[in-house]
Amino acid sequence: MSDDPYTTLGVKREATQDEIRSAYRALAKKLHPDLNPGNKKAEETFKEVAAAYDLLGDPEKRGRFDRGEIDASGAERPRERYYRDFHAEGAQDHPYSTSGGFADFMESDDVLSEILGRGGGRARFRIRGQDVHYRLPVEFLEAVNGATRRITMPDGATLDVVIPPGTRDHQILRLREKGGAGIGGAPPGDALVEIEVSPHKLFMRKDDDIHIELPISLPEAVLGAKLDVPTPTGSVRMTVPKGANTGRVLRLKGKGVARRDGSRGDEYVTLKVVLPDRLDSEIEEFARRWQAGQQHDPRRGLEA
Amino acid sequence: MISVQEFLLRTRVEHRSLEAWIHAGWLIPPQTEPELAFSDVDVARAQLIRDLRDDLGVNDEGISVVLHLVDQMHGLRRSMEALLNELRGSRQGGD
Repeated sequence: MSDDPYTTLGVKREATQDEIRSAYRALAKKLHPDLNPGNKKAEETFKEVAAAYDLLGDPEKRGRFDRGEIDASGAERPRERYYRDFHAEGAQDHPYSTSGGFADFMESDDVLSEILGRGGGRARFRIRGQDVHYRLPVEFLEAVNGATRRITMPDGATLDVVIPPGTRDHQILRLREKGGAGIGGAPPGDALVEIEVSPHKLFMRKDDDIHIELPISLPEAVLGAKLDVPTPTGSVRMTVPKGANTGRVLRLKGKGVARRDGSRGDEYVTLKVVLPDRLDSEIEEFARRWQAGQQHDPRRGLEA
Repeated sequence: MISVQEFLLRTRVEHRSLEAWIHAGWLIPPQTEPELAFSDVDVARAQLIRDLRDDLGVNDEGISVVLHLVDQMHGLRRSMEALLNELRGSRQGGD
């Protein structure tokens, strides 16, 4: 090999470890013997490159080399046989052999298939089954609280899908080895189930928190009240403070979406003061003679 | 046959990786009962996978593709070799 590992890798002596690493990667991609099964020269060069990287890729060894404590000889990496060596003509057949690259020639030509087929029973073929994709619509609350749903697969078999609490829209659940059958005794593929969460008429989800708009009456807003508020796990009694306005947000701690660690997000309740559909004369009368109300300008500072 | 222990030692692969590789179908142990055992070709293949992952920066998806293509290339090389030998043989016979 070249005496100077820096020259072999084509880097400067002051190159950073990152530069050395990417120089090695670039060369190895071109020269790796298993990617160049027919090229003896590539193998020789790869050995030199690998030895140089063995020395320079390790900062400690590199430091010792730079200080002259060790030299570049004898740094060659011991290596067992390369993968390609198991594919030589006459080598024993193994599960990775495949005729996939030329099977189409064999179908059409008797002479060729006779020659190619002679190399040994290459028909043995194992491949892991395909991954199968499903979409599973679930209700909002099923996704928030968790649920089990049964799906029927194309072959008629059923599969119980456990939807963990806190599952998000478009989250993909991987069910190991529930996909297509493997060939030649290889394991089946996985079932990949994409969850589609339908929206809820009351709740809005933001990450682990639930948001809800809660209509309250005028007396409740003015005087305060104790109200039942829906949450994903049932309704909860909440105190609305006196003088609570539209847009005021109250937090119900731990009433949001279940998390993996067992805790839950929060529910945020946005108040909305709602007048009755029909106003009676009493409230009109009150509004007319309510002095402070007449002077209150909620649009102050709103000029564009 | 090579035991799991010896396999891990020779390939310098962690046990977790080995399990994942078998699951992905990258490695197909010739024996699974009563316990896992491997052959020399599995060792060489695992070293190739390790080189791809650690030295060449190929990610998992890329490794599947590379293995698939490498296996096809080997199949092609073998059949080409067989074909060439057949041709050489018939030429000599004709002379």
